Amino acid sequence: MSAPSPNSDPAPADKTSDRALSRRSFLRGTAALSGLTALAASLSPLRELGDFTSTEEFLQKYYKELTPDDMAKVLERVTREVQHQYGIRPHVRDLKPMDGVEFVYCLNLTRCIGCRKCVHACVAENNLSRSPEIQYIRVLKLPHGSLDLEKAEHNYDAKEVPEKGFFYMPVQCQQCRNPPCVKVCPVHATWQESDGITVIDYDWCIGCRYCEAACPYWARRFNFTKPEIPAERLNPDMAYLGNRPRKQGVMEKCHFCIQRTRVGKYPACLEVCPVGARKFGNILDPESEVSYILREKRVFIQLKEEMGTSPRFFYYFDK
Amino acid sequence: MATRSHSPAAQASRRTNVLLTILALAFAGLAALLVGNLWGRPPALVSLPLIDPALLDRAPSRQTFADLIAAKEDLSDFDCYACHDKKTPPPVHFDENHKIIIPKEHSNIKMGHGTHDRNNLCYNCHNESNLLTVQVRDGRELKLSDSTPLCGSCHGPTYRDWEAGAHGRTNGYWNRALGVTQRLACANCHDPHAPRIPPRVPAPGPHSLHQAAADAPPAATTSH
Repeated sequence: MSAPSPNSDPAPADKTSDRALSRRSFLRGTAALSGLTALAASLSPLRELGDFTSTEEFLQKYYKELTPDDMAKVLERVTREVQHQYGIRPHVRDLKPMDGVEFVYCLNLTRCIGCRKCVHACVAENNLSRSPEIQYIRVLKLPHGSLDLEKAEHNYDAKEVPEKGFFYMPVQCQQCRNPPCVKVCPVHATWQESDGITVIDYDWCIGCRYCEAACPYWARRFNFTKPEIPAERLNPDMAYLGNRPRKQGVMEKCHFCIQRTRVGKYPACLEVCPVGARKFGNILDPESEVSYILREKRVFIQLKEEMGTSPRFFYYFDK
Repeated sequence: MATRSHSPAAQASRRTNVLLTILALAFAGLAALLVGNLWGRPPALVSLPLIDPALLDRAPSRQTFADLIAAKEDLSDFDCYACHDKKTPPPVHFDENHKIIIPKEHSNIKMGHGTHDRNNLCYNCHNESNLLTVQVRDGRELKLSDSTPLCGSCHGPTYRDWEAGAHGRTNGYWNRALGVTQRLACANCHDPHAPRIPPRVPAPGPHSLHQAAADAPPAATTSH
């Protein structure tokens, strides 16, 4: 590009033009560079190669067809994947429903103060994505004397709760006895188990979101992008059908903390509730607190009862 | 050098060779990156603002007298007869609106039992003849560490619900066969002098989790 320096031996004019960057070679270089850039850009989806479905996962059989040996291999794979991604070795189990158990949830609307602690306890327990934010529980703020969900406020940001003249109604998966989400799933990736929990096999879900559209309670969430969970907050106590980390492009929802309730513990949202508004138990046990509540209390709704979904989630009043 | 590069054709072919070598190296490098998955490693997790751990706290909000004994806490506050005389019950004073006047020695007590502040006579619950016990209306004397039946003597339906597990917090196991169900006493949640659960700051609503941790809500206050 520059003129030849005067103190070098006088070179022929053609040589000078050869050393300098000619228009042609500049264009050629630019073309090559942009070609390479375009190639790199077109290959960039391969950056997520590590997150692609492994052959093992791709060839995995349907959950209900897995033999115990197959299941052990699957759990080993899930453990390996979680450890690779988060650097924490999880304890992944495949928990089966207990005999003679049907779970029912009761929520006392007289007690709930709308503090949203259940929402965040659920996020922590179930390894929900922090970015983008996914939450299974949505607390609705409703004016007294109304149950018009259209009037519900989701994003209330009061200095203090409860606010005068309002009540709060947390809504999550209602674990319907007649679940519309299960009916619409084209691949049977979601089904109802014998203890009443509707579960999702995240490895079988194709992400069509039919179930999300079918659910009258807006209980199902879709992973539009890869879920982000801070490794230091990862809950290593995992269940295959429960809180193991999800992938991009699959549905998820409340599963009554399957990793807790199927070993006899209470769900996380219940334990964190500061006012004891949440009650959970086995409806087939007449001594359980949920049996007592359904027998003795003013159980006023199954939410959107007219839908015929027959939820296992009951809202009740004290007085 | 100058003599060898005289032929323009030779020059051109050499340039093409150089260009092709560079291109080949670039492709080889790209291939190596992809095969070695150097580039395709899971991207480092972004540092996400974490929710205040106080919002995940499952501990009871108060400690009962029994808890204080179990934790071997300082119980000098409960040694009534360090100040009071055993023979004469301490007098209770009321202002002209019949509101109790709380002596400055007990300024940590905020009275607010009952919606109309009418349950304001100390000896409705405390035993004037033995300040270390509480008295149920039916004449029973109970230790301070066992005050739940005292509450139940007025709040019958609530007490019945509590006994059935339908009132109050439960932690642990719903399945009694597999583990212990932890029940709480009345005073684990309710201040006996002002039993209404104080209002609190709600946890952040949906889609506000991404703000910096410094923006976390301040501690709950009880003012209206």
